[in-house]
Amino acid sequence: MIRSLARSLSLIRSARRGLASSPVASGVAVVTIAISLVLVGSFALLASNMRSLLDDFGDALRVAAYLDMGVPAKDYERLADLARSVEGVESVEVVSPELAMARFRAGVGRGGALLEGLSENPLPASLEITLAPAQRSAEGLAVVVESLEGLRGIQDLGSGQQWVEGYLRALALVRGVGWGLAAILGLAALLIVSNTIRLAMLSRRDELELLSLVGASRTFVGAPLLLEGGLCGAAGGVLALLALYLLFQVVVPGFEFGLEFFLGGLQPHFFSARECLALVSAGVVVGGLGSLSALASERFA
Amino acid sequence: MRLFHVSKSYAAGQFALRDVCLDFRRGEFTLLSGPSGAGKTTLLRLIFAAERASEGQILVLGRNASRLGAAAIPSLRRRVGVIFQDFKLLPSRTVEENVALALEVVGTPRREVRARVFAILKQVGLQDRRFHHPLSLSGGEQQRVAIARALINEPDILLADEPTGNLDEELSVEIMNLIAAATERGTTVIVATHDSAILERYGVRQVRLENGRVVADGKLAGAEGRA
Repeated sequence: MIRSLARSLSLIRSARRGLASSPVASGVAVVTIAISLVLVGSFALLASNMRSLLDDFGDALRVAAYLDMGVPAKDYERLADLARSVEGVESVEVVSPELAMARFRAGVGRGGALLEGLSENPLPASLEITLAPAQRSAEGLAVVVESLEGLRGIQDLGSGQQWVEGYLRALALVRGVGWGLAAILGLAALLIVSNTIRLAMLSRRDELELLSLVGASRTFVGAPLLLEGGLCGAAGGVLALLALYLLFQVVVPGFEFGLEFFLGGLQPHFFSARECLALVSAGVVVGGLGSLSALASERFA
Repeated sequence: MRLFHVSKSYAAGQFALRDVCLDFRRGEFTLLSGPSGAGKTTLLRLIFAAERASEGQILVLGRNASRLGAAAIPSLRRRVGVIFQDFKLLPSRTVEENVALALEVVGTPRREVRARVFAILKQVGLQDRRFHHPLSLSGGEQQRVAIARALINEPDILLADEPTGNLDEELSVEIMNLIAAATERGTTVIVATHDSAILERYGVRQVRLENGRVVADGKLAGAEGRA
C-alpha cells in the first residue's frame, strides 16, 4: 500500500518534471487539443440544443385524427376507444365539430366575425391523441400514425411527423459534421501530442535509459509519459471548455436570428456538468492515446 | 553465476565473445582484464541483460539471462548494481536524486529513500555534497556517486566497467577499495579494467580476455590482499 502510494507520487513528480522540462512543446500540445475541442464542442453544443428542442417538442407531440363527415356523433366514443387500444397511445380526447368551431373562433380572435356567414359548421369531429412518453419520438410517432391509418371512419391524420423527420435529418447532419471534425481534428491533435511526447522522450533519453538500467519496469518508465499526455489533454479540455463558455456568453446573443432557425424559440443552453466532463475526458483520451502511440513507436534500453 | 559456452557476435563470423565458460562464486571479487575490444564490456552487458548471447547460457541469480523476456529483465537488474565508465549520472538532478533513482523504481517510500541515500552517501564520503549537481563534482566524486547508486539496493552482483578509467592512481585505489568492500556483504563483484596498476595491486581472481576468448583465469598475488 505504502509502496504503491510512493510509486504513484513518484510517477506524478516525474510527469510534472517532464512537462516542466519541455514547456513549449507541452504548450503546443495543450493549445492544439483545445482548438480541436472548441471546434468539435461547438457542433456538439448545437446538436445538444437541437436535441433539447426535439425533446421539448416530443412532450407536446399529438396526433389529430379527423373523422369522416358522415360519422354519426354516437360513434365518436367508439372510434376513440379503438384509438385508445393502439399501442403507444396514452389518451384520446374527442373534439366534436362544435368544440372545434369554438376553439377556432377563440383562435382567430376578432376575425371570428367572418365565420358568422357560414350556414353550417364545416369542421369535422376529431380525436386528439396523446402519445405515451416512450412513443414521443419520430419513430414512435410513425408507428402510431401507421396503426391509426387503418381505422375505418378516420379521414385524415395530422401530426408533426414530416417536420420532426426533417429536423432529425438536420440534426443528423450537424452531428455528422461534428463527428467528421472530431475524427479529423482528433487525429491531428493525437499526432501532435504523440510527437510532443516523442520529443520529450528524445530529450530525456539518458534518463529513460538509466531508469531501465537500474531496474525500472516499462510501466514505470512509460506511465509518467502517459500521464503527461493525459495532463496535456485535460488542460486542453479545460481550456476548450472556458473558450466555449466565453463564446457562448459573448457571441451567441449576436446570432439570435440564425439560432432561431435551428432552435425555434428555445433558449440556447450551455453544456451540462456531465457534458463538460465528457469534453475534458475527450481531451484526456486524445492526450493519452497520443502518448501511447509515442510509447509504442519508441524503444528505450 | 555461471556462463556456459557463451558467444556473442554482432555480424556473421565476427565474435565479441567466443565460447566463454566461467563460474563466479557468491561474494567473490573478480577482475576482468584484457585489451580494448577484448569483450570485457560485452561480457558485463550480457550479465545484466542489456544484450542477449548469440549462443550459450548465462545463469544469473537462478535465471537464464540469455533467455529472459522483456518483462522479467527489470527484476533481474534490481539485484545487479552496475557502475559505468562514463558514470551515467543525470546532470539535471542532484546527487541525492541520482542515487535515489535505484530505490524509486522499486517504490521505496520517500522517507526511507532519504535515510538510505544519506547512509550510502556517508559511506562513500559524499553526504555533504548530496544537494550538489553532478557537473559541480570532480571525476572521483562523480564515480563515488555512481558507486553509491549501484550499491544502494544492496545488490547480489556488482558489475563495474572501467570504474577508474579517468581517475588518477590515488583516486583509483580509493574507488576500488569502495567497490571491493561490497564483497564483505556477500556481493559478487566483477570489475572490468585494463589498468595494470590495479591488476597488480589486488591479489584476487583475474580473468583475462583476448579477442573474445578467456586466455587466463586464476588468482594472482597482489600488493593488497583485499577481498
